[in-house]
Amino acid sequence: MQIEVKNLDKSFGEGTPFEKQVLFQVNLKIEGGEFVGIIGPTRAGKTTLAQHFNALYVPRVGKVLVDGIDTADPKANLAQLRHKVGYVFQNPEHQLFKETVGEDVSFGPQKQGCSREEVEMRVQEALQLVGLDYHALYRRDIFALSGGQKRRVAIAGILACHPQVLVLDDITAGLDPLGRENILEVISRLHQQKKITIVLITHSMDDVARLADRTVVMDQGRVVMDGPTGEIFLRAGELKQLGLEIPQVTEILYKLHREGFQVSLDSLDLEEAVESIAGELQKTGVKDTWS
Amino acid sequence: MELTRNVTLGVYLPEKTWVHQLDPRSKIIFAVILITLIFFIDTYTAYAWFALFILGIQRISRVPLSFVLTGLRPMIPVLVIIWIFQFFFYEAADASTLVSFWVIEGTDAGLRMGNLIILRVLMLYLVITTLTLTTTLVNLTHGMEILIAPLRRVGVPSQELAMVMVIALRFVPTFAEELEKIIKAQMARGVAFDRGNFLRRAVSIFGAFLPLFVNAYKRGEELIVAMEARNYSGGRGRTRMKTLKMCRLDLAGAIVMLAFSLLLLILINLIPPPY
Repeated sequence: MQIEVKNLDKSFGEGTPFEKQVLFQVNLKIEGGEFVGIIGPTRAGKTTLAQHFNALYVPRVGKVLVDGIDTADPKANLAQLRHKVGYVFQNPEHQLFKETVGEDVSFGPQKQGCSREEVEMRVQEALQLVGLDYHALYRRDIFALSGGQKRRVAIAGILACHPQVLVLDDITAGLDPLGRENILEVISRLHQQKKITIVLITHSMDDVARLADRTVVMDQGRVVMDGPTGEIFLRAGELKQLGLEIPQVTEILYKLHREGFQVSLDSLDLEEAVESIAGELQKTGVKDTWS
Repeated sequence: MELTRNVTLGVYLPEKTWVHQLDPRSKIIFAVILITLIFFIDTYTAYAWFALFILGIQRISRVPLSFVLTGLRPMIPVLVIIWIFQFFFYEAADASTLVSFWVIEGTDAGLRMGNLIILRVLMLYLVITTLTLTTTLVNLTHGMEILIAPLRRVGVPSQELAMVMVIALRFVPTFAEELEKIIKAQMARGVAFDRGNFLRRAVSIFGAFLPLFVNAYKRGEELIVAMEARNYSGGRGRTRMKTLKMCRLDLAGAIVMLAFSLLLLILINLIPPPY
């Protein structure tokens, strides 16, 4: 399934004294099966752009085609479209609106008109996919969950709708390192096993570097870079100018490069980087002082 | 889906016009006078004059009319229902029937009553938005607090009331934002708020209100903690950095208000209803 954005403009508060344009001439094409990271400083328009993907915003200027369907078409079946493009919101507290975990996760499939058994099955499957125990949590009060659990329930609620595209809006923010690790693992597994297209919106360069095949950089409502993740991080200077941190691995490789070591700058994987550095050290004859 | 666009209550438009510079106490008193006038008016001509006056004030205060009108949009269905009820069910002795379905009849007296009520609500809305769009919340409460302070002697907790009013107004945009988030979350999982007829939409909206109330309670608790943390203990004995002062502008405003009220009252008595 393909998402195509053509010359998209978006303003908030049109016709009020507070009118403000937040997207300018955005063009973007996401193919089925891709893993795309969208990064950029706050207020870059990442969330606004992403909420066009499932027609939460409908374009007035420009076009958004999801699976060939124009979202601005008044006859388009948007409810169906929103089930195909799942959206996990920035703040899980706002997304979970039922009382118990079971009720919340079954909301989507119920709206799709699934039978009771089907709903039950999907809830089980979704909770299992995000690594939560169905029996222990089914009747649990949403408010009694931890932050990491809430996010997983939020993802499960979307997965139960059987989406083909999953848009994840800053889901690792505010989690401790372990919670973050778990969530990223879940996403990576979904992409590999279920072949779900993933759009990951985040501030964390490390997350994008680790998972995304392709990276889109946004700034002030515009797409400023778009390409394979490795190539994007080669433009470290530009990224820093935008106020973005480059991944730690890249940072170290850059520093070594500046000191005259011939390490490969585009390795994003930690192991790869270590090998590259080790190889370079052997070549230059620097002895390992600890061995 | 952009709900916050339609919210005009509790919003302040920063400008430097005469209306903005008026003392909040005078503005509140003027608003009360205007609202009282609305309930005396019962002719179309008088309403036309009233509308002209209040729109003139909005013009001076650089409040864009289009913005004020967007705030009316969510109210339209309610207004239509009120109008229909008045038209068909208002009973008067000398009413003549205009249209009739089955046993219900729309009378000329009902039509007039329906129109007047709609006009009344519209004028009320215009007066209140003019006040709130041109006055900061701090000033509004401060003025309100001073104005109802004499009632403290008879046991009315004036400061607390003012505080409640401010919190209520302040949270209108916040709750609109929150409702928007909940609606979006439900839309993302298949509730079609933006499709279907009026009734179906109304039912969908209802499903979003329950989580909104839950959030409101949580927010209330947070607010209590925040106030306690800053040692809020009722407003008694609190002083302010900026004290209010009446000036010549307020005198001028009072003269304009008085003149307008007198003219309007004379007009009402000169031209008897229905026009």
